[in-house]
Amino acid sequence: MTATDDRFGIGWRPELALGILANLDRIDVVEVVADDFFGATKSERGSLATLAAQVPITLHGVSLGMASANSVDRVRLDKMSRLVNELSPIFWSEHLAFVRGGGLEIGHLAAPPRTADTVYGTLANLERARIATGSAPLVENIATLIDPPASDMDEAAWVSQVIGGSGSDLLLDLHNLYANSVNFGFDAVDYIDRLPAERIRAIHIAGGRWIGRPGEKRLLDDHLHRVPELVYDLLDCVSARAPHPLTVVLERDGDYPSIDVLLSELDRAREALESGRQKRSGAAHG
Amino acid sequence: MANSSESSTRAASLESFLAKIYVDENARKDFLGDPFGEAIRAGLSARDARALEQIDRTGLELAAASFARKKQKRDCRQRHK
Repeated sequence: MTATDDRFGIGWRPELALGILANLDRIDVVEVVADDFFGATKSERGSLATLAAQVPITLHGVSLGMASANSVDRVRLDKMSRLVNELSPIFWSEHLAFVRGGGLEIGHLAAPPRTADTVYGTLANLERARIATGSAPLVENIATLIDPPASDMDEAAWVSQVIGGSGSDLLLDLHNLYANSVNFGFDAVDYIDRLPAERIRAIHIAGGRWIGRPGEKRLLDDHLHRVPELVYDLLDCVSARAPHPLTVVLERDGDYPSIDVLLSELDRAREALESGRQKRSGAAHG
Repeated sequence: MANSSESSTRAASLESFLAKIYVDENARKDFLGDPFGEAIRAGLSARDARALEQIDRTGLELAAASFARKKQKRDCRQRHK
């Protein structure tokens, strides 16, 4: 294992396009939100193919509703499949969330009740997705502001059961993990220790802000702020445990700083990951 | 992993109920006034209704507001595409 096996990249946003394209010597991978291209014109798809020819890409889904007792949205899954086959990304990924129910679109990612039933539904959906696209998606842990009601297991146990029962590896979002740990009072490092480290293949880093009334504040994962230092500490921790190369992606969805600021955050991620790798190497030889 | 169609249906009903109280302000208000009764009237099991009585109320309000903001932002982006 060498640090060069790891990849560092940024989420593709139109506002960041010029900065990303001007700095491909410092960006190993670009993560594209697949749903933004489900209704794309031929010209827009051509532009995306051109991007994919210049830099390795990953495709990231946000609306399939994979973690649900209901079947994954078939129309969206077919569109995802088409993109995966057209663009040959390094991998594609989706969230462990449900996004609709009873004919209502929630509008974003909702954490399912953590039960055996939702593990079962998620595994069935992941299998449908694997068959449709020809490859198992990576699955991402989500941030939630509400502790999902009617749950009978904690998040680490639920995620581990999904990973253990499927062919999908984990895209571990460290700010989502950090936010949930402070909002619901669990130890983020203990959570990492309970995951199958050999199944962690990718990492998201981002920033957020505190919301809510005094005494009831919660950390919102809004992707509008700098990555907090504690998230880099978690990256160090993960890379000390994960045996495989990692793809680390910085997510930023607005209030865009200069590209230099984002590149400095990627550099900080490289440092954190290298620090963890050295600990792993030291432990192996110690 | 085995799972009965009955438990899958129960889980799907719970998701539908959660989706409703996440996006519909009036449904959320009614629910918060009588969580157990509203859950039972929606056809949920007594077990799920009891669980919903213990719902994280702070989280529910914050999550509902966050979902609404996200949906508004996404709808706005699609209108301007």
